[in-house]
Amino acid sequence: MTRRVAFLAVLLASVGMAQTVPSYKQLVYPPLKQVKIPEPATFTLKNGMRVLLLEDHELPLINGLALIRTGNLFDPPDKRGLSSVMADVLRSGGASAKTGDQIDEELENIAASVESSMGETSASITFNGLKETAGTVLGIFKSVMTDPEFRQDKIDLTISQSHSGIDRRNDDAQGIAEREISSILYGRDNSYGWNIEHADLARIHREDLQEFYHRYYFPKNIMLEVYGDFSTADMKEQLEKLFADWSPEQPPVPPFPPVTAKPAPGVYLAEKSDVTQTFFSMGLLGGTLRDPDYPALEVAVHILGSGFTSRLMSQIRTKMGLAYSIGAGWGASYDHPGTFRIVGSTKSPSTADAILAARAELEKMRTAEVSEQELKTAKDAVLNGFVFFFDSPAKILLRVLTYQYFGYPNDFLFEYQKKVAAVTRADVLRVMQQHIDPANLSIVGVGNPKDFGKPLNDIGKVEKIDLSIPPMPAVMVPVK
Amino acid sequence: MRLRLLLFVLLPSLLAAQSIAELQKSFEKKVTEFTLANGLHFIVVERHDAPVVSFHTYVNVGSVDDPGGQTGLAHMFEHMAFKGTPTIGTRNWPAEKAAMDAVEQVYDRLDAERNKGPHADPNKMAAISNELAAAMEKADSYVEPNEYDRVVESNGGQDMNASTAEDSTNYFYSFPSNRIELWFLLESSRFLNPVFREFYKERDVVREERRMRVESSSQGKLIEALAATAYAAHPYRNMPGGWASDIDHFRRPDAEKFYKQYYVPANITLGIAGDVSPSEARRLAEKYFGRLVARPLPSQYRTVEPVQEGEKIASVSSPAQPFVIIAYKRPDRHSPDDAALAVLDSVLSDGRTGIIYKDMVRDKQMALGAGSDAEFPGGKYPSLFLFFVAPSSGHTSEENEKELDRIIQQVKTTKVDDETLQRVKTKLRAALIRKLDSNAGLASELCSYYVAYGDWRKLFTELDDYNKVTADDVERVANTYLVKEHRTVTYTYVPDAGAEKEGAK
Repeated sequence: MTRRVAFLAVLLASVGMAQTVPSYKQLVYPPLKQVKIPEPATFTLKNGMRVLLLEDHELPLINGLALIRTGNLFDPPDKRGLSSVMADVLRSGGASAKTGDQIDEELENIAASVESSMGETSASITFNGLKETAGTVLGIFKSVMTDPEFRQDKIDLTISQSHSGIDRRNDDAQGIAEREISSILYGRDNSYGWNIEHADLARIHREDLQEFYHRYYFPKNIMLEVYGDFSTADMKEQLEKLFADWSPEQPPVPPFPPVTAKPAPGVYLAEKSDVTQTFFSMGLLGGTLRDPDYPALEVAVHILGSGFTSRLMSQIRTKMGLAYSIGAGWGASYDHPGTFRIVGSTKSPSTADAILAARAELEKMRTAEVSEQELKTAKDAVLNGFVFFFDSPAKILLRVLTYQYFGYPNDFLFEYQKKVAAVTRADVLRVMQQHIDPANLSIVGVGNPKDFGKPLNDIGKVEKIDLSIPPMPAVMVPVK
Repeated sequence: MRLRLLLFVLLPSLLAAQSIAELQKSFEKKVTEFTLANGLHFIVVERHDAPVVSFHTYVNVGSVDDPGGQTGLAHMFEHMAFKGTPTIGTRNWPAEKAAMDAVEQVYDRLDAERNKGPHADPNKMAAISNELAAAMEKADSYVEPNEYDRVVESNGGQDMNASTAEDSTNYFYSFPSNRIELWFLLESSRFLNPVFREFYKERDVVREERRMRVESSSQGKLIEALAATAYAAHPYRNMPGGWASDIDHFRRPDAEKFYKQYYVPANITLGIAGDVSPSEARRLAEKYFGRLVARPLPSQYRTVEPVQEGEKIASVSSPAQPFVIIAYKRPDRHSPDDAALAVLDSVLSDGRTGIIYKDMVRDKQMALGAGSDAEFPGGKYPSLFLFFVAPSSGHTSEENEKELDRIIQQVKTTKVDDETLQRVKTKLRAALIRKLDSNAGLASELCSYYVAYGDWRKLFTELDDYNKVTADDVERVANTYLVKEHRTVTYTYVPDAGAEKEGAK
């Protein structure tokens, strides 16, 4: 049958045109050109800051990123949000000689930027500008990093914006689902899972910001990458000079607190009246990239829920027409267990059907081996797309920096490539059985139960999520 | 002091004019263009640093071209463009084709019965519906699911997707550069001979997309209300996703007719950027895309939006925190005022030095976020210059609206200072340089500039237009276009507070 169709196709294609075209199956590809992977220059400044430099002369631009070993995980439990407020005001609060507003004008006059931000397990300060303004941009970058003033007016601004942000946190159904699944999986006693409340913000003061800053922002705790249109020797000299007068010391930063959560599997429902779809997120605690099963898990979860060809997509979107957006990710993290998640949304009446169908697809992955074609597609996607890990100096440098920051070997990606190539159908079945048990899933639905076709009880006992936002305790309401 | 400041401000701009001309010159050496006999236009940019290539197909058709009563049809076709061809996506094409045609015959009978309105026989309808479901199931049984996607993915394709906007439909992804021929084969085949398989399942998917983007988002609903209110006649009044009931009634022949009318070679521009040889691209273009048959271009005529005779207001009741959009009528992108409007937009809301951010967010803290957009929802036809505000907790939409009015009054009566004007121009120049850093971005930008202006070089030369804008121009366009009679005010409100809002108006 297949051959007849192929024959017909060739016949059809050749009618009325000069050239016949082959089937994609007949195409033969030349070997891919050798990828040039430039080696960054790495060195340590006299003050102890690690530096990585990579030249890229295509465009007259210069970019940098400093990674600081700290994060939301170091927030005091009664001042949740402190680190993020600090990172925001680090930039907006200005330096001793210039206000943040002056810095805004100075940077934007030359179309440059310096930004500061805080993540769970790292903080960053970035800069970019045109080559001709490199000196000015680096100078401002340095003063933001080393000489923050934390002016009170900008602390007030960030705190006030954070209050407004809290008030808006239930406006986006998808956002609620993501937030709540994290809380359920990681617990609410750490920054992976907690919410910042009005009361937390009310307890954050300028001294707290200064204390947090001094504890973590010191040269030996910082890794800096710079890439763009410069000469390595000049940049090295420039950075030595720039940071020559900044050498504060602090004891080494302790490791981040480990994840100790014991997630409670079950079905959780957050009610939202103004939606016609239910947004759901189903997950469990996963692993790190160091896990020996990580490559097989990536392949397995790719087959389950990545891209347009995955089982979830084929079944729930293409065949059943129940979702526009549906997918899964293993979600490994560098230094702590990540979260495996299936995420999607479907019209309210088909809520239970879509969730049950997703769970059934997961179950199938654990009861029978995937097909040879599925395995090949998933592995080929990684292996043939491997070159895209190296398609820009920025990507290459950031990966080297990230590996160094989390203590991964430089050749980690190449080892991963080898291991993906070796994954078998039996491996996929084994890691699915070992790591992803549907009985352990926590399932969060955010939607309008009035319109559900079947009650969620069909999936399991439902626990309601209270979305109400705790108001500011009366004694703390600031006098304006 | 003043002089030093002035020098500091002027110096980069002198450099700027020079370096942009140079940049354009050196960039031009990397660009090759050609048009096939059937009218398809190709723009090829060579960037050989990494062995990867990005592809962009820009079709000059968008939701403005949706037929009446079939809003969302351009978007529906975009989804169908991933369903394959007579050789990709099927297990048995002749049998599948027969089964697909059988589906349409049953569907015709269902529609015939439904068209009887109150005289339709519900039992008959139910019986035909069952028949229809069975016919669809049979047709689907021949499908090789998602084969088109699988070929792209397994060959290392990255970021494959598509988008439908008011003015255009775009298809894009990237391949390792040894797989260039595969793109030529796949892309030409889907526009030469698309098969609209699984049409009615995909219609459900498209409907879910609308539920997600519009119906389940207060801002989605607000934007939809804005477009429908601001435009009385022009199809910019309909969002690309279309109206729910129109989607529910799409038929496969509707989409096929739309495809034949609008997916003609001269209406399609293809951008290729990365590690590619222009002569090889040309050879492959002739071989694969040469198969498309030249057809006449579709009509560009659309109902012209009449002059707005007074302020319009629309609201959306929502438990979400309030959001406000105020939109003023402006001319299309070919207006001589286009550059001045872009500069005005930048003066108002670019970065942390924009007037709106400084005043409403930073200093008065009445807004969590606020800004402007010079061109919504498109640029091909007269569009909207809009302002948006998310009020801070404890501050009302009304006080934010009043403050916006005050700022608008300010730009109408106070000339922008030289430092601000120069800053905006410098930023626009830097933004251009940063755009040149990505294959995918280049493939897309060059196509859209070519289609919009007839020449991709406009990406560079529009900087000259910006540089010519004076403080007088900015003041003039603010006075010409930001007028109350030609605006539409839209806002969301929390139901309980609604009565209060009405009272205040």
